Amino acid sequence: MTGLVLKNVTKSFKEGESTVDALKNVSLSVEPGEFIAIIGPSGSGKSTLLSIAGALLQPSKGEVLVNGTDIGKMKEKDLSSFRLTDIGFILQTSNLIPYLNVLDQLLLVCKMKGKVTSKEIDLAKMLLNDLGLGDKLKKFPNELSGGERQRVAIARAFVNNSNIILADEPTASLDSNRAFEVVKQIRQAVKNRNKAAIMVTHDERMLEFCDKVYRMEDGVLTQED
Amino acid sequence: MFLAIKEMKHSKTRFGMIGAIIMLIAWLVFILSGLGNGLSSLAAATMKNMDGDLFIYEEGSEGTMMKTKVSGAIADDIEGKYGVKEAAKFGQSTIIVQNETEAAANAKEKDDVAFIGVEPGKFIEPTVVKGQQLNSDEPLGVLIDESLQEKGYDIGDTIVVKSSNLKLKILGLTEGETFNHLPTVFVNIDTWQSYAFSAPGSDNGLESPVTMIALQGNSIEGNKIEKNYDSIETFTKSEAVMGMPGYKEESATIYMMLAFLFVISAVIIAVFFYVFILQKTQQFGVMKAIGASNRFIKNSIISQVFVLSLGSIIAGIALTYLTALAFPEGMPFNLDFKMVLLYGIILLIVSVLGSVISARQVTKIDPLTAIGRVE
Repeated sequence: MTGLVLKNVTKSFKEGESTVDALKNVSLSVEPGEFIAIIGPSGSGKSTLLSIAGALLQPSKGEVLVNGTDIGKMKEKDLSSFRLTDIGFILQTSNLIPYLNVLDQLLLVCKMKGKVTSKEIDLAKMLLNDLGLGDKLKKFPNELSGGERQRVAIARAFVNNSNIILADEPTASLDSNRAFEVVKQIRQAVKNRNKAAIMVTHDERMLEFCDKVYRMEDGVLTQED
Repeated sequence: MFLAIKEMKHSKTRFGMIGAIIMLIAWLVFILSGLGNGLSSLAAATMKNMDGDLFIYEEGSEGTMMKTKVSGAIADDIEGKYGVKEAAKFGQSTIIVQNETEAAANAKEKDDVAFIGVEPGKFIEPTVVKGQQLNSDEPLGVLIDESLQEKGYDIGDTIVVKSSNLKLKILGLTEGETFNHLPTVFVNIDTWQSYAFSAPGSDNGLESPVTMIALQGNSIEGNKIEKNYDSIETFTKSEAVMGMPGYKEESATIYMMLAFLFVISAVIIAVFFYVFILQKTQQFGVMKAIGASNRFIKNSIISQVFVLSLGSIIAGIALTYLTALAFPEGMPFNLDFKMVLLYGIILLIVSVLGSVISARQVTKIDPLTAIGRVE
């Protein structure tokens, strides 16, 4: 089974004496080729949900199935290699490595797996071309605009060819035009490559590009119409 | 290695400065080692050059040249016994000398030298680089160390020994022969004995007294020798070298400074990279989030230190040899390439160990720092 499935997931954190449930019995399923959005105020548990879906955190209760594998049963040590091969993260603009050029940002992901093959270099170049960065391969992050940096981050999320794409506030710190552009590009890449994608966002203007919208409030996830 | 090199290329100033510090430490280490080497050969070169396996000193002398006197008869007797192949008498005193022409002119300049008596043809007699070896036909012939040439002594000259009427003729030059911080003058042991024990009773009643006896042979039985001859003690070569006046103290000082330098360089590297890692917590968090293992990040840090230290140490070696060119001629500075290499490797290992300690910090970085930071 492909895609991402969360079944009755609860995540509790200890806060002093008491425990706080950041996620309460959350269930969610994303099919390949589907692009969903999760909105909600800060502190509602969106980031926790994304961290659990991305194998950064393990649930307290419930199952998280990524391509049929239950993350909750994995050892902490194996999670990083699981993220490397099965999850693509689109992080905020500031999260490129400052001393790597655009192409190397992508090749770094391949390096983490071992030797870089020429096939991987071709894929990286193709991704960057598709996102309109074909002539900027040798540029460093500080030489790019905010939108360009975010497109590099998108390309980086796709380069390991994982089935799941998770985007954490990809439009933060972008103006509306660029934000639209970036979300459209994520959507296009998700559809073309048939990935299951979740985007966490504050920005309600972006929802028109998503197939489904969920709202998160105090740890409870509900689907919007 | 990929990240390590890319980052260094990108932040040249930052890594250039750390590299410069490592280079200066390496430079200091090499200069000190050269100085230590120079001083120790000044103190004990003649002793170190001797190809002896065991040395007979007076009992209770603690291997110190100044406190020993043994009977030369032992040397004649011991050959062929207890595994001894060859025994050579050795006598030492310090004398003040002057070139004959200067002495005639009543010049004020005099030179202190180590006056070493050896038997012509025995293994402890050094090979000349110029001129002739000692021979029994010329009891007043001597070999002098090259360094005395600068002070106006040369083959064929006559040297006057102050406070005695001894006049010596220079037969040949030797290389790198210093003893007790003084250039060495080698003479026939008989001549040395008649000079050293000219005062009545100064021979302690020993037959043909000498300072010590050097022995050569395979598996010499030191215990048996000590049992069979009265009031003697045997020492190995390294013990005898240690017994040279000032040798132990000088080398202990230098080694202590070197040890401190190694510790300091490890701490500097560890602290620098500790701060670097703290600065890059966010970056490493991102890398971990997209799937980098701790090992991947640690390897990149350690390989960075390795490359940086290696480059800096090589630069330090180059700087050391350049500085050595500028040192004045008489300075006791003696760079041994093998030693430079050894200390370079130690420094490299120590720096890498320092970075390994800092790199452990990486494990504590939480990949969650990469998520949900925009407010």
